[in-house]
Amino acid sequence: MRSDINKKNYLQGRSPIGGWLYIYTMKRIFLVLAGILLLYTASAQKSLLAQDENNKYIYYQVVDQPNATKDSLVGKVNSFLHEAFKKSKRIQTGDSLFTVKDKFLTYSAFTFAKHESGEVDFVLNIECKDNKYRYWLTDFVFRPYYKDRYGMFVPENGIEIPLEKASSKLDKKDLEGYLAQTGAYCRQTGDNLKAFMIQNHQFSKANTQPARRVVTKKW
Amino acid sequence: MPADTGKVGTGADPKDPPLIFSGSVDTYWKYDFSGHSNIPTSFASDQNSVSIGMVDLGLKKKVGKAAFVGELSFGPRSDQSIPTSGYHIQNLYVSYDVTDKFNLTAGYMSTFIGYEVISPTGNFNYSTSYLFTNGPFQNAGFKATYAFSDKVSLMAGIFNNYWNTYTSFITHGNTTTSGDVSTFGAQLMVVPAKGWTAYLNLATGSFSGTELDLTTAYQITDAFKLGLNAADFSAPNNGGGFSGIALYPQLAVSKVVTFGVRGEYFTYKNGGGNVTGITVSSNIKAGAITLIPEIRFDSKSSAFPFAFADSNLAPTNSASQFLIAAVYAF
Repeated sequence: MRSDINKKNYLQGRSPIGGWLYIYTMKRIFLVLAGILLLYTASAQKSLLAQDENNKYIYYQVVDQPNATKDSLVGKVNSFLHEAFKKSKRIQTGDSLFTVKDKFLTYSAFTFAKHESGEVDFVLNIECKDNKYRYWLTDFVFRPYYKDRYGMFVPENGIEIPLEKASSKLDKKDLEGYLAQTGAYCRQTGDNLKAFMIQNHQFSKANTQPARRVVTKKW
Repeated sequence: MPADTGKVGTGADPKDPPLIFSGSVDTYWKYDFSGHSNIPTSFASDQNSVSIGMVDLGLKKKVGKAAFVGELSFGPRSDQSIPTSGYHIQNLYVSYDVTDKFNLTAGYMSTFIGYEVISPTGNFNYSTSYLFTNGPFQNAGFKATYAFSDKVSLMAGIFNNYWNTYTSFITHGNTTTSGDVSTFGAQLMVVPAKGWTAYLNLATGSFSGTELDLTTAYQITDAFKLGLNAADFSAPNNGGGFSGIALYPQLAVSKVVTFGVRGEYFTYKNGGGNVTGITVSSNIKAGAITLIPEIRFDSKSSAFPFAFADSNLAPTNSASQFLIAAVYAF
């Protein structure tokens, strides 16, 4: 309330030009802050991705779930994949490893006109043990879109760019945007998985910070 | 390149995509080495003038299985590409996904025929081919597309009796009345190999004539792409027609620069002469802007119906021009 009064007095004590300058200045400050926030968010999401032993981008987490048997976790993972990746190709290896191939859309970044800019193919793996499970998303391959004659954004046929090699093929700013969106997608997928897995289980704290360097052979 | 999958958007996102807004603007400078314009293909017609193409504004939205696209354009390139001044509509249609594989679409749409398109963002070369100039630009109608797999799909539809018209019509002497929806169109899309897409197109009707068209592109390596367009058109009532072929090799030499050539042979039927065009272009990316420097050489036969003149305004059978264009896409 007090700040509102001060603002009112400030405006009343100024000429129309002074008021305009105040609003102009506030607008500039707001835009700068919004820009900083946007860059910070993009940077934070990009940093969610680590690199594995083969220098491939990976989003990797191990989640402890005490009092849960492997079989019960396997059943839950099966249900989750059936619900969240209905149309995707799902493979079960052995009795506890699941693999899904899917893709998500990316959008043009840092522009007022938002439209699809491409899609990212990925592989999601989930593996279960007694009292814990792990999941990781990797094999990210970007396929750029172009605007076709019907005004639709569709894949450019035959162009597939692994994100690890994209720096030589894509504009730096565009690539940063795609990495940020990939990180955000991975985090969201992980959040959805964890929320599903703790249903009817006593909550256990997950390892929420992905490792910066990942060795996937030991867990 | 057409991609008539009949789909509005793809991907795994379960949510409806947002309202999508996109578009482009373009400007160019052209100089025909004779000192005046010669080459009669569509757009980029002004000589020694910094001129504008068009501003193109597109909106699309999909909710559930239903979608719409509305695309407006303004400027000289728009004026030369739409049938009725004041309408400014390039695409206006609604579509519905009956199933994941079966789509219905109705409205006014860019044609499914040919390699090149009206929007400069959809072409590698800024100037256009004779095949594009003489073929359809738009077709208003209703079409159904069925995707047998991600490698084969078939579109079939009925369209207004003439190309490039917002409404069907028939002319009797000085009188124009409503026409009919009598042009049949079909497109078979196949993907013979990874990175290779081919479209076999047919549009036929007693008013619009019959055009058979093959449009294909093959991304042979990461850097090299080869496109091809071949078409044959027969006008109704033995009124002539045209046929032609164009090749589009393109080589990316960096993530910023790509070079490409369009080599075209085009002939009018019934002794209407022929023309050969070689166009060398580069696409230089600078963020959202693509710069297109381009040089073009056309050589025609004497019977070709469009006259070329040299710098002394004497008739000649060859013409050449240089242009540089800037296209901003958003």
